[in-house]
Amino acid sequence: MHVTKLRPTAALIRSALGLLFFLSLSLFQGVQAQVGTQRVAGRVLGEDNKPLGGVSVKIVGTDRGTVTTDDGTFALLLKAGDKVEFSSLGFGSKTITYNSQKSLDVSLTATVGSQLDGVVVTGFQTIDKKKFTGSSVNLKADEIRQPGVVDVSRMLEGRAAGVSVQNVSSTFGSAPKVRIRGATSINGDNKPLWVVDGVVLEDIINISNDQLSSGDPTTLLGSSVAGINSNDIETFDILKDAAATALYGARAMNGVIVITTKKGRSGKTSVNYTGNFTTQLKPMYSEYNIMNSAQQMSVLGELDRKGILTPNILSGANYGVYGKMYDYINTPDANGNFRLINTTEAKAAFLKGYAATNTDWFDLLFKNSLVQEHNISISSGSEKSQSFFSTSLYSDNGWTIADKVKRYTLNFRNNYKFSDKLSAGFLTTASVRQQNAPGALSRVSNPVSGQYDRDFDINPFSYALNSSRTLTAFDANGNREYFRRNYAPFNILTELENNRLKINVIDLKLQGDLSYKFSKHLRYEFIGALRYVKSTREHEITENANMANAYRAADNATMRASNQFLYRDPDNPAAEPVVVLPYGGFYNRAEDQLLNFDFRNSLNYNTTFKDKHDLTVLVGQQVKLTDRQTSSNTGYGYQYDNGGIPFVDYRILKQTIEASFPYYGMSKDFDRFAAFYSNVSYTFDRKYNINVTGRYDGSNRLGASPSARWLPTWTVSGSWNIDQEKFMESARWIDYLKLRGSYGLTASFGPATNSEIVLRSATTNRTIPTDRESVIQLANLENADLTWEKNYQGNIGLDANLFKNRVNMSVDVYNRKSFDLISQIKTPGIGGETYKAANYADMSSHGIDVLIGGTIIKRRDWSWKANITFGYNTTKITNVKNIPLIFDLIQAQGGNTEGYPVNSLFSVQYAGLNHYTGVPQFVAGTYKGGGDSLAADVYFQDQDISHLKYEGSVDPKYTGGINNTFTYKAFSVNIFMTYQAGNKIRLYPAFRTSYSDFDAMPKEFIDRWVMPGDELKTNVPSVVDAYQRYLISGQGAQPYNTYNYSTARVASGDFIRVKNVSLTYNLGSAMLKKWHMNSFAITGVANNPWLIYSDKKLKGQDPEFFNTGGVAQPIQKQFVISLKAGF
Amino acid sequence: MKKIFLYSSCGLLLMATGCSKFLDKEPDNRAKLSTPEKVSQFLATSYPQANYQGFTETMSDNVEDIGNGGTDLEVSDPYRWLDSRQNQQDSPEFYWQSCYAAIAVTNEALETIAEAGNTTAYKTQRGEALVSRAYAHFMLVSLFSKFYDSATAATDPGIPYVLESEKVVIKQYQRNTVKYVYEMIEKDLVEGLPLLEDKNYSVPKFHWNRAAANAFAARFYLYKGNYAKVIQYASESIPGGAYGPNLRGWNDLTSPYNTITDVTELFKVYSKSTEAANLLLVETSSIWARWFYTERYGVGQAKQTEVYPSTDPLTGGPVAYKRYSISNGSHQLIPKIDEYFVRASVNANFGQPYVMVPLFTVEDVLFNHAEALYYTGNVTGAIALLNTYASRRITNYNATTYNITLAKINTVFPVVATDLGTKRLPSVIQAILAYKRADFVHEGMRWFDVLRYKIQVVHNLKTGGSAVENITLTPNDLRRAIQLPLSALQAGLELNKR
Repeated sequence: MHVTKLRPTAALIRSALGLLFFLSLSLFQGVQAQVGTQRVAGRVLGEDNKPLGGVSVKIVGTDRGTVTTDDGTFALLLKAGDKVEFSSLGFGSKTITYNSQKSLDVSLTATVGSQLDGVVVTGFQTIDKKKFTGSSVNLKADEIRQPGVVDVSRMLEGRAAGVSVQNVSSTFGSAPKVRIRGATSINGDNKPLWVVDGVVLEDIINISNDQLSSGDPTTLLGSSVAGINSNDIETFDILKDAAATALYGARAMNGVIVITTKKGRSGKTSVNYTGNFTTQLKPMYSEYNIMNSAQQMSVLGELDRKGILTPNILSGANYGVYGKMYDYINTPDANGNFRLINTTEAKAAFLKGYAATNTDWFDLLFKNSLVQEHNISISSGSEKSQSFFSTSLYSDNGWTIADKVKRYTLNFRNNYKFSDKLSAGFLTTASVRQQNAPGALSRVSNPVSGQYDRDFDINPFSYALNSSRTLTAFDANGNREYFRRNYAPFNILTELENNRLKINVIDLKLQGDLSYKFSKHLRYEFIGALRYVKSTREHEITENANMANAYRAADNATMRASNQFLYRDPDNPAAEPVVVLPYGGFYNRAEDQLLNFDFRNSLNYNTTFKDKHDLTVLVGQQVKLTDRQTSSNTGYGYQYDNGGIPFVDYRILKQTIEASFPYYGMSKDFDRFAAFYSNVSYTFDRKYNINVTGRYDGSNRLGASPSARWLPTWTVSGSWNIDQEKFMESARWIDYLKLRGSYGLTASFGPATNSEIVLRSATTNRTIPTDRESVIQLANLENADLTWEKNYQGNIGLDANLFKNRVNMSVDVYNRKSFDLISQIKTPGIGGETYKAANYADMSSHGIDVLIGGTIIKRRDWSWKANITFGYNTTKITNVKNIPLIFDLIQAQGGNTEGYPVNSLFSVQYAGLNHYTGVPQFVAGTYKGGGDSLAADVYFQDQDISHLKYEGSVDPKYTGGINNTFTYKAFSVNIFMTYQAGNKIRLYPAFRTSYSDFDAMPKEFIDRWVMPGDELKTNVPSVVDAYQRYLISGQGAQPYNTYNYSTARVASGDFIRVKNVSLTYNLGSAMLKKWHMNSFAITGVANNPWLIYSDKKLKGQDPEFFNTGGVAQPIQKQFVISLKAGF
Repeated sequence: MKKIFLYSSCGLLLMATGCSKFLDKEPDNRAKLSTPEKVSQFLATSYPQANYQGFTETMSDNVEDIGNGGTDLEVSDPYRWLDSRQNQQDSPEFYWQSCYAAIAVTNEALETIAEAGNTTAYKTQRGEALVSRAYAHFMLVSLFSKFYDSATAATDPGIPYVLESEKVVIKQYQRNTVKYVYEMIEKDLVEGLPLLEDKNYSVPKFHWNRAAANAFAARFYLYKGNYAKVIQYASESIPGGAYGPNLRGWNDLTSPYNTITDVTELFKVYSKSTEAANLLLVETSSIWARWFYTERYGVGQAKQTEVYPSTDPLTGGPVAYKRYSISNGSHQLIPKIDEYFVRASVNANFGQPYVMVPLFTVEDVLFNHAEALYYTGNVTGAIALLNTYASRRITNYNATTYNITLAKINTVFPVVATDLGTKRLPSVIQAILAYKRADFVHEGMRWFDVLRYKIQVVHNLKTGGSAVENITLTPNDLRRAIQLPLSALQAGLELNKR
């Protein structure tokens, strides 16, 4: 590519500096003629005196050259006066004039902030950075790899300006919220496109923006890169503007992250081992805002006095200590003795015992586990063929007692050069994942009460935060102690053993590429890939699980009447509900499959004429096919302890069917994609670059109608290498200066697929099962104007290297106008569909990306390098006609409405506590219950949002990172901090109208309203008494849940976090030689050790984490020992 | 070199043509109307799946301000004949949307059938689609336009009669006239009805079975004032005038209405498909089953006495309705509207409420038949039908004691004294309407008679203490035509005058 006489093939990896140096030499020195060549051997070393393999060694002005072996050595025939150029990706290049010395030892320095060196890999092309006109960030995996962090998407946090990564959950397999330059779409995807070795990485299942933080079991398949071994990665190229992503056309709207994996190198076979040994700290109550058992017991005492904790709770769904007390008082043992006599003294003594327990649920449910990661890679090859093999094991035996992960990966890559014309490569990657997680059901949004409901949630983290510390896991004799949840005995330890989720994922990719050079100018390239992913999620709920026992809880008539898990026969409504799961538990299974083919053919024409004009033309074609299948099945009555025989009571199926639920399901999804693309780039005099790209995409995602199928996209961009100008020669402190500009149209799929009418099968909702029919429903009318979501992006950027490459910086300013976005619009409904999804919404965003890096101090023995990234982004929805409900806007993940940023958080306006009751009050606008200006709550499904207060966006405006590396001889220390600011966070919903003796309460409750007058001093509402509770629930009001969504429960999302601190020791070359090693390094790392700043109102709540239960976990504090050895 | 370009461009061209087939694949599991059976499945959704009972009942003279109970806008706005501010379940706008959703289904089905060449294989499907299209428009024009009046129908604004699928996001429509809409309804109905065959339905009671379609035709011609046709279609709906055994057996000691003692179960009986009196049922998304006896505007003690007294004034016999009262007797009800609650997930305590609504019943046909007989001069025939009806409503019915005669009718319903509004109705018609009013209480059917006979409606408003204020809906009140959804302006429609 870009082959010219002056820069033969290997010039691809030659750095900008090298080229400059060469030019000056050849201009001023001319060519000296000398006779007598001799074989000269040499060695190339890196800064830390590590031998550098794979360095290109070239005699300038000739075709002759070689590549260093892995021990850094090379041999070449030279004659005095030959100018020898050494260059390697990621290192500055050096040209040395050979002066007949016996050996030639050279040291190369790693370039700081490699962004301005080498090449940009777009997945379609590999372009010399000097000719590149787009905005991109090139990150070397070696530099940003964080031992202990497995998911590669999390490694990008704070590393590239404009890329924000929010760890909404840290459970293995779940994806962080990644945004490149913020959101571009309101209802569609906002996540970037991942590309691995030129092939788009398709998601197994598409997780929507909202689902990402839901804690649902499907989120464990949310990270498309979870199967990638980070040690196999060579570089990341983050493509940010229209020019950089141009060749992704209709999928480029959200930016592209290109991963390039390692290749084999010719030379000596090298073996590398990396081992990471991680331990995680248990969370501690001191970090959180939860009452200890004595404080909790005093609140329970108040509840008792207020008539909430009466013996009636025995027939309720949940109870804790008080329930147990009443149970002991009421139930005689076999001898007719009561375990507790009903006297005030006895009761007080009983309660006092529990008041002192102070159970540490974190200690019981979490472990200081050991995570091991082993990785071996072997690289070998000759000029004709190279191979790279790597395999890894990741084994995490669990931060909590319920989770566990094992992942195995394989990466095998071979490149062959059959002749000067023909070369080919084959790549096989595979990963297998086996994961255990606490059993979890999907959460269900309940717009009535304004809550998310998740039945049988046993997430250890949220259990520890939400369960009273007066409860105990073991009784005085060391036996498991049970309280009641869902009408059945409950002990979290027992439940986690008996209710578990098992996830298996097999991910296999076969990829091949072929390249044929027709001539010096014309090259044909083919790339093809097949990927198959199969995942199963088995939810095993044994007969001993609380979830199974809840179906059998029918102790007395009250319980039978209220237990919703019992069966009510619709043919006999007067009959008492009965148990329909007499034996066994559940075996629920969900499967997801993905089959993906991707083929690409392209022709590349490249020529240089008159030494000043450089022209490259690329024409290509692509076909992609993705089939997805997802299925689920509920297995009733599986008897785990009884030989695995299912016992199915026919009535449990009858119950499911009568409730209009199928007990299994399967759905398929087909993605067909074809595209034609062309790119022309022209460089004049190495100074001026112009680049034009056009692409024509076709997809079936909008529906089968041919009218909406095709979309042309285009980009125009240019750059000016100012440093090459004559007038810059005097400014010697400027090594590199480039001004870039780009403008173009990119697109993305919206969430609508109705370019033709959409019909879906359904079952009618009729009372009597025999009346039901399988019917076909009109889901969406045809929308003949349906098209893709589109975006015009403009970008202006400046890149500079200053002071002999000591400092590099890059600034980008961008503006994006999204249009044709899909949003809901209310129509007159005469066509038959009132709320339609249509391409009419607009939004705009703009921002700045800044990167500054440099070597601040450089001495013989020590150095200090620093790197700062800063990204600013704001979005504004300029046109949308959707009609959000209050509930849509007040939730933690934010909502969308015109005139506000994407994912805006709104609050109900809190208006103080009621003087007489301490119940919170709100500014309610036109409350449907009456005209009062202050109301007990608001109706969450109200469309009148005028009285809500806008808080801010939940997406941060400012994001970035600060990295510092200090090196002293063989030691180096790295401190990496990330920050974000400008967003708002909804605090955990801690308040409820009714509490049971099972619940934990936050410490705020100490300051709660207790008597009239307190409302002047506190904003913490009262604990309501039984009568008040009766009144409130009689009105159907929910003041306490409204309080959770009020202005009183919002915090700022600003934070600064020390993400990573590490200390590395590199073994010296003498020792290495002695031990026959190429390299050896040992690193100690602390991940997430310190949250330096966050809003005080958060009181321990992680500003990134959504505590939604299910399978979600916050990011952990980890300590890692990492070993690296190369042979 | 040239060759290479030639080959590659040929290759690209081939791929381009292959592409269109490749991209024809549907993106997900979606249904296609490929066979007559599938069109049938599709037409199962061509019935308006919304409930009109709530707002029509509340606008009628069947209800009063009880002084306590719920004040949901879906009920309190219609009670005051205000343009409804709600657009969710049980609101006029929701009903409007559902009617047009049903119409969209019929048009898509008819287009599919036309594409398949209108073959005989699609005969019954075509019939069902045409009758459904007629019915949904019939309900819309009855509720959202001025009620059909042959004198003014040619100028009264109708509602858009939609005959083709909508293919753009916002399309422009015209209201046309009530006369036009009635002509179109008649055209679809007359064309569709003969094509129907009961044997093609898996659940006939939820589809246009012949009895139901004829009942619809009878009602349509009654509204239009074509009484001969009413008699013709009523006779086809209930062949041989076999009303007696098919009427709801309120007084039948062996029927579920009397064998079931548990009221919660009794609720479920009324709209069962096994009930012979129900000719056509539809499942609707509705909260009416909770509201009809808990909202502030409903049947109170006074209205119960007026609408369904315990002693029938005409026969003097005891009426067999199961009557209940709740909230200390302030709210009166007959257990007939039942809720089917579909939970959001298996164990969720929230979800969607549904109500099965009987759209056509044997009683409805009987009353329409009787009216038509009266207007065509067959007074004896009309009174005979009333006697048949009474035989299924009076407890321990005795044909001699409880026989209804013209004399009794004239005494109980004199033309002057109990004048229903300003229009003076003949005594026999008054008798029919009174029975009908009681029979369909809570079901909103009364509103259509209020419209048809321009009956004046007075609603009381309790404004605290004992103060009562009355509001009146006069016979020619413009508010009798429910206001179109405001969004109809987008489609270029004019709103109703106020």
